[in-house]
Amino acid sequence: MPLQTTTDAAELPSHDQVSDPGIRHFATKRYRDSLTKEDCLEMFRQLYLARYFDVRLIKEKKRGRLRGTLYSSHNQEAILVGSLFGLRSTDWISPIHRDMPAFFLKDAKFQWAELDRMGLSIQQVCSQVWGRVDSPGRARDNWSHIGSKEKRIIHSTSMLAGTIPVAAGVVYADRMNGGDAVVVTYNGEGSTAQGVFHEAVNFAAVHKLPVVTIIENNQWAYGTPVRLGCATPDVADRAKGFGIPGYIADGQDVFDVYDKVMSAVEFARSGQGPSIVECKTFRAYGHGDHDDDRANKYRDPAEIEHGRLRDPIAVCRQSLLDLGYISAEEAEMFIAEGKNASEATNEDFPPEVVDYLNSGIEFALASPQPEAEEGGMWVFKESK
Amino acid sequence: MAAIASAPVQTKKNYLTALKEAISEEMAANGDMVCLGEDIGQLGGAFGVTEGLQDSFGTQRVIDMPIAEAAIIGASVGLALNGKTVMAEMQFIDFITCGFDQIVNMMATYHYRTAGEVNLPVVVRGPAGAYGGGALYHSQMNEAWFCNSPGLRVVCPSTPYDAKGLLKAALRDGNPCIFFEIKELYRRSEIAEILPEDDYIVPLGKAAVRREGTDVTLVSYGQNVYHCLQAATELEKLGVSAEVIDIRSLVPLDEETIFASLAKTNRIIVVNEAPMTCGFAGEIVSRVTTKAFDLLDAPPVRITRLDTPVPWVKPLELFVLPSVERIVQSALQTVRY
Repeated sequence: MPLQTTTDAAELPSHDQVSDPGIRHFATKRYRDSLTKEDCLEMFRQLYLARYFDVRLIKEKKRGRLRGTLYSSHNQEAILVGSLFGLRSTDWISPIHRDMPAFFLKDAKFQWAELDRMGLSIQQVCSQVWGRVDSPGRARDNWSHIGSKEKRIIHSTSMLAGTIPVAAGVVYADRMNGGDAVVVTYNGEGSTAQGVFHEAVNFAAVHKLPVVTIIENNQWAYGTPVRLGCATPDVADRAKGFGIPGYIADGQDVFDVYDKVMSAVEFARSGQGPSIVECKTFRAYGHGDHDDDRANKYRDPAEIEHGRLRDPIAVCRQSLLDLGYISAEEAEMFIAEGKNASEATNEDFPPEVVDYLNSGIEFALASPQPEAEEGGMWVFKESK
Repeated sequence: MAAIASAPVQTKKNYLTALKEAISEEMAANGDMVCLGEDIGQLGGAFGVTEGLQDSFGTQRVIDMPIAEAAIIGASVGLALNGKTVMAEMQFIDFITCGFDQIVNMMATYHYRTAGEVNLPVVVRGPAGAYGGGALYHSQMNEAWFCNSPGLRVVCPSTPYDAKGLLKAALRDGNPCIFFEIKELYRRSEIAEILPEDDYIVPLGKAAVRREGTDVTLVSYGQNVYHCLQAATELEKLGVSAEVIDIRSLVPLDEETIFASLAKTNRIIVVNEAPMTCGFAGEIVSRVTTKAFDLLDAPPVRITRLDTPVPWVKPLELFVLPSVERIVQSALQTVRY
């Protein structure tokens, strides 16, 4: 593998030109072209699923039915849907705070609404959001700090990039056992400044471990722009220093994300080692919902408007129209893009998507909080 | 001529050999065990604790890691999350700071935050302690940081027998453990001893009474146990009978053995080579005063390093560290109180 960023560089956006409406298509389309019509329509539907989860939680919080900080994935959903769609159930993932939909999208395939499917259910995920006992972690840590050994989701902490070495260890063990699992880790561009990011990716590179590190470059690490966190033109350039491929994907285009991530995943699965996949996107809101007002001040309104021009739902819809997978009439049915949580309504989303969230939220609201004394439990595994 | 059956010669083994045996025996017994650290494979470790290990078990199970402690600990967590038992070596325990977040935030909390779904059999071991001219960054005893992070076992053996038995117990315990080895004891021939032929463990959370006495209890761990034993010999000449307790494991702590001793002596001195403020000696004194106050005939005493780093040249180093003389003097004051 050449030690260069494996992209068609001329077409790619750099830090200050992200989400350029002119950027649509990239070179290697092998995996993208292998998607069936059903696959494409399903991914389109999953974009609504992720968006509605975000919209609905913000509404729930405004209604006073939900406490805690929300880290919106609005405008970044294509990264989650596109990266998860092609994974096997034996693969591991390691999402962070802005990736909440990943918990119900892993192993979702076409059966996300079925309770007994693989993966975590929306009931479990909502129970976690609401801090209820039916959360996979019994609500012991908040928001995205859940996971499941059985479902192969690594439990994160608040320390960014901290799960990458863990991910490397997980697949090292899998390889020892003769497995062919790949691990996909998610981080923001800000996390790539962490020392542990470099330690872990370097270790994975030395041992050619199947670790795919997705960088969701949404231009802002809390209140710090990417140019103050990374001196290379693209974050994917960091890959050069490790001797591994660095891919760049259009983070607004679910099919391009799928294509680039699957390239990295199959590269890893075949024993050739780790990759970095930078997905260019833009953070729609503040760092967390506590930061929304300030984020409108520390970011130029023109930048925000520009960054949200290419809503992943709209980009996907246009591709489906171009491919002839949906009719013009069908395209008009659910217009969720370009709307904040306060503007979007249930009518903007497919009814099965709304029903899905309703079932999760109703379940969570009926689930009790854990007993208080659980706070003192499980510090140690009891000795045999 | 009939062959003369000769019993195998039982040789005394030092602290380092005991550790080597513990690791290689556990590796042989547990095919799911992995070792990783800096220079542990081809070199056999900076001190030789893992000498020959890679020859016996291969490069996949004995991993030479980049100089990256956070990656070493994080990878250990991942290996354990996916079913492995892990021994991770810190080249010096001082360097554990570079993996600190992975230890206290990632590893220590894993069982807790998953409500028991995940447990991590990871032992992070490394050479620790002063009195050898190692200067600021090759002399530390930083055990208190880890005692203050719920979810970690913290262990510190002082004899070859305990080094082997505690390391085996820690590797089988199923919880993450920070294992403090005293590098000044690694090759100390005076403490070499014959180890059992058969497999054995020393359970975590059980103290050892190293010397019985009736007038004052000296509680310690690691190298300071020997300072306490020397002090007890001196005190005997002065007519004071000192009992010496080696706690061996800090978390969990065997309070009963300490309190039982205190019931006899009614006086306690705790010795450790870490700094005084928020050190583990203070924890023991606190437990004594809050749980066994009625047993005390004199104020408990802490003898620790001064609240300084460990300086390099010998007069400076010895100045800041606990000494036999300080223990003797404190014991005399305590029994006269």
